[in-house]
Amino acid sequence: MQITFWGVRGSYPVPGAATVRYGGQTSCVEVRSASGECLIVDAGTGMRALGNKLLREATAPQNHHVLLSHVHWDHIQGLPFFSPAYIAGTKISIYALLTAADELQQVIGGITRQEFFPMSLEAVPATFDFHEVAPGVGIDIGPFQVMPIALNHPFGSVGYRIDCDGSSWAYVSDTAPFDRVLHKQHFLPGPEELSEDDKTSLGDMRDALIRGLKGVDTVIYDTHFLPEEYERFPHYGHSTPDQALDVCEAAHCRRLVLYHHAPSHTDDQMDKVAADYLELGAKRGIEVLTSFEGMTLPIGPAPAEAS
Amino acid sequence: MKLRFWGVRGSFAMSGREFLRYGGNTTCVELLTDAGERLLIDLGTGATELGKTLMSREFSKGAGNLPILLSHTHLDHIQGLPFFTPFFIRGNTIRIIGANPSVGSTLEATLQNQLAPHYSPLNGLENLAAGVSIETVAAGSTFEVPGFMVTTAAVPHGSMWSTGYRITADGKTIAYLSDVEYPNIDDPLPVAVNLARDVDLLIHDAMHADEDYELRRGWGHSPARAGVVVAERAGAKKLALFHHSPDATDDMIDEVVSRTAARTAVPVFAAAEGSYVDI
Repeated sequence: MQITFWGVRGSYPVPGAATVRYGGQTSCVEVRSASGECLIVDAGTGMRALGNKLLREATAPQNHHVLLSHVHWDHIQGLPFFSPAYIAGTKISIYALLTAADELQQVIGGITRQEFFPMSLEAVPATFDFHEVAPGVGIDIGPFQVMPIALNHPFGSVGYRIDCDGSSWAYVSDTAPFDRVLHKQHFLPGPEELSEDDKTSLGDMRDALIRGLKGVDTVIYDTHFLPEEYERFPHYGHSTPDQALDVCEAAHCRRLVLYHHAPSHTDDQMDKVAADYLELGAKRGIEVLTSFEGMTLPIGPAPAEAS
Repeated sequence: MKLRFWGVRGSFAMSGREFLRYGGNTTCVELLTDAGERLLIDLGTGATELGKTLMSREFSKGAGNLPILLSHTHLDHIQGLPFFTPFFIRGNTIRIIGANPSVGSTLEATLQNQLAPHYSPLNGLENLAAGVSIETVAAGSTFEVPGFMVTTAAVPHGSMWSTGYRITADGKTIAYLSDVEYPNIDDPLPVAVNLARDVDLLIHDAMHADEDYELRRGWGHSPARAGVVVAERAGAKKLALFHHSPDATDDMIDEVVSRTAARTAVPVFAAAEGSYVDI
């Protein structure tokens, strides 16, 4: 199995000279099994370039499977620009957590309401189907075994553990840490005081995440904030690399990949983040990589070692 | 009057080396009068960068006043809204002015839907700390915002209509015709020509290179040559090609400019992110 990053940015796309090396497009990851089967995680703006590549490679209309962590704009905005959707015979299956709405199709199709986009999802040539996911309820998609895991984000999101070809990785984005703020189904102008029940919920969520990540080879984690930035916005629903390291250490993961970079972080800042956390991770026995657009990572032991 | 382009890209924000000179952010234009009054047009991703700049001014103290004109509510013209920092400072007064979408919903309901809880943690316009008003204007109307006279026109944009603007300040006039496709692309509608009559600068949709247009007829956008015809018929003094295709690299835009300039006596340039124009 290998994964390729098509968008690594959080919140909104950031063009310009300061993001050329790490990339300015939002969340989208391509997963490939050893046999070449494809799974897409999140449909941020990185999905446009991925779609163009898939279309160039395809000799016939494909079935695409897209896992969504949640439906905030930066995770779905690429969908209307996914060029295979405009090819008749293409089938696109979307898997997502249903939050703050009655049905998935209405929410996801809603981004192509005619006020927002010239062609509605119903009108494009591809056919879509929608599958609601639930934390803890595994799904098999081709050779991929997928386990959704609840995360701490405004109105909810899910991470995914994905097992295939004898190895595993996990996508943990978007999430806040599990101590100071519990995200529920309402707007948070700032941190709220936690009740005992809230603290229990947070503890349970963290335990379930660590159980779900147990022994995973590679973890992609929402590390939007640097620690000093997190202190100013603890209620925004994102984590720091330090908080990600805590989780990965507790779950005995081999490798952590920093992801969902804040739009304000320039390439030069990201170089420093990458160097600092490579060193901090090494002290804790975890290899820390910093994702950039176009990065491809083999998951698990190299084929030669595996045989 | 001074104008600054903050976002010139159409449809989709493009990052990467091939888009550095003209810029990859989606549409946002800032106008400033000699006396310092400010008016924005559209809230594409270009607005995020402008928002940060404004925070070094009265907007950080909650003392900013800002009218914003929207051409329409397609995502590339509003996707910067949730990330425009002046919205998050109590005391700022921000007016969003535009037509109700010609399809679907009202302007206010559309922007509320953009911030609905499944799409955005902001969960509604009411959670923006600044005072925000949504004001609808009818096509063909003329109104004043501090420092500027504004006239609107509805122009066809694929399956819907977008709003074109004619804006006068300090004795100078510009016209903004982004996101437009005339039924006969070589014979622009009089409503557009009239809006651009004798303007000092015409900003016009130039999403497609002329030779690519046939394949994309009906998508709601113009080839570069459409702006030329409007500028010539209207007597515009200068033409800015705008709303560049996400597929157009810097070099491709250079090529479109030189070919467009060769066919008209009207001075032509391609709008570039970050650049100022003295009107």
